[in-house]
Amino acid sequence: MKTKMNRRTALGLALAAPAILRSSRAFAAKELRVMAWQGYADDDWVKEFEEQSGAKAYIVFIGTDDEIWAKIKGSEGKDFDVFAVNTAQLQRYIEAGLTTPHDLSKVPNQKDVLPRFRDLSQVKGVMRDGKVHSIPFCFDSIGIIYDKDKVNPPPDSFETFWDPKYKGKILAYDNGEHNFSFTALTLGIADPFHLSEEQMGKIKEKLIALKQNVLSFYTTPDEALQLYKTNDVALIWANYGQQQVKAMKDAGANIEYVNPKEGALAWLDTWAMTSGVQDVDLAEAWVNFLLQKKIGQQLSERTGFGNTVVETGSAGANDKLVWLDFVEDPTKRSDLWNEVKAQP
Amino acid sequence: MLFVGSAQTGVWPRLLAAFAYCLPLVFIVAPLLSFLSYSFFSMENGQIIHDLSLLNYKRFFTDAIFLPVLWQTCLLCLAVATLSTMLGFPVAFLLANLKGRRRYILLLMVLVPLLMSYIIKIYAIRSILGGNGFLNRFLLWTGLIAEPLSLFVFNLNAVLLTLTVLLIPFAILPIFLSLERIPRSLIEASSDLGASGMQTFIRIVLPLSLPGIVTSATFVFVLAIGDFLTPQMVGGQSGFTFGRIVYSQFGTAFNWPFGSALSAILAIVVISVIAAGNWLEFRRR
Repeated sequence: MKTKMNRRTALGLALAAPAILRSSRAFAAKELRVMAWQGYADDDWVKEFEEQSGAKAYIVFIGTDDEIWAKIKGSEGKDFDVFAVNTAQLQRYIEAGLTTPHDLSKVPNQKDVLPRFRDLSQVKGVMRDGKVHSIPFCFDSIGIIYDKDKVNPPPDSFETFWDPKYKGKILAYDNGEHNFSFTALTLGIADPFHLSEEQMGKIKEKLIALKQNVLSFYTTPDEALQLYKTNDVALIWANYGQQQVKAMKDAGANIEYVNPKEGALAWLDTWAMTSGVQDVDLAEAWVNFLLQKKIGQQLSERTGFGNTVVETGSAGANDKLVWLDFVEDPTKRSDLWNEVKAQP
Repeated sequence: MLFVGSAQTGVWPRLLAAFAYCLPLVFIVAPLLSFLSYSFFSMENGQIIHDLSLLNYKRFFTDAIFLPVLWQTCLLCLAVATLSTMLGFPVAFLLANLKGRRRYILLLMVLVPLLMSYIIKIYAIRSILGGNGFLNRFLLWTGLIAEPLSLFVFNLNAVLLTLTVLLIPFAILPIFLSLERIPRSLIEASSDLGASGMQTFIRIVLPLSLPGIVTSATFVFVLAIGDFLTPQMVGGQSGFTFGRIVYSQFGTAFNWPFGSALSAILAIVVISVIAAGNWLEFRRR
């Protein structure tokens, strides 16, 4: 008898389950799935946005450009509604049809951004065929962090990274694409994003020499800071720019930041909607919400990055910045980078 | 007893058996097969081409970087396995010789590190290893060294040390179990017949614990060779291992087919090691 009861109850539950699930989903009808970098979707902003829109926002933080590609491409855009992506990376998403163009009438705050970001046709990479594929949000340069006690006079060139004086005291970044680009700039190559076979060969040799001078290749700012704290580090190739500077200064490090004379690579992060966006209005509302002066101010205060709505001192007026572009063959650069790392 | 009423019809036991077979089939065999089939696909312009070919395997053998890195990784993991087993054996021996509650309390303490997150452990070890890390500062303080050592600062040695520290509990357990299973009477008989403690250890205890030692070494080797985070976090510029190449294929390179092929090759290495371990154990019996 007991057995039968159990079985019947179980059967009942199994039949009822879909109904229960359905009803619980109905309560949170509006939901926004966001993929962002740390600092682009702080808890207080998310809370305020949720209160304003009545929607639930699910934020996933990522660590590298390649992780975004793997996640967005892996799900063919279906797992997220809106994602933060830089203008260089954006190109392959557009080409793969993984984006949905913005409707600027739904993002009124874009009219009040800083002059250089106001006319989106003047911002390299965000438009294609007259359509706005993403909206600028945040930018920074990739310069050099140096320890003021150990590096004197201050460095002004990327060549410092190859200086035998700093052997074993350098932190570089673990990414083939950027490393090939900045080494190209160091070698005086005009277009570091479209390299010939011959140029790649030269750069690979140069990177193998860099490897001998480097203590470690890091991937996150936290990691670089921890390495700095427990080792004798003089120079850091600052992939995370001002964010890293701020974190290191907060930790009491006596450091400074320069953009080298060869020109610093600089990125511009934007908000794009995926091809699988479920609620376009809600996604546009999210972008519009983040383009408020208050948020831009807080973004720069908290991360040190330049924002697109309020003037900041992120990069000096005379600094040469080389805006990042889609590179000729990311897979090839990744393979070559593996070869550099595999060198004994 | 839950299904007693239905046993006569035989439906429930059969369903249960089907379920038991389905679970590993769906969650283990099917993903492995899909992995294997991916390894025969290829990439073109960021798209996976679903035509079967051996290109990925050909690339593994012809490209100059993969075999040396795999070989170096195998040697590293062999060193980790040897070191873990050698360090784990005395601990297991001590544990097996303890009596009563103390034995299990100590055993539990050996296993406590397994409850902690693996990432947190690596971070902790990193702050111990660095140039101004705890280890160097301690050695400087004791006056054993005058300058900070670079021996364990972000290189293959650091990977070796970290993997050994992380995996030692996995080495201790199987050895402990095999030692525990040795009947007391054998050891008593040995000493009754006049063997010294050392003789008993070498001729009775060690041979009988050999299956445990082999299991430990295989266990540690297999766990170490699949690891890509430890080399990434403490390996510095020289600690490049096969696991990191596989990892990069699923991340930076976005070449899943090639990554699958490399994983399949790694799986073959792992299966061979397990088979060799098995063979060693049975040959002894």
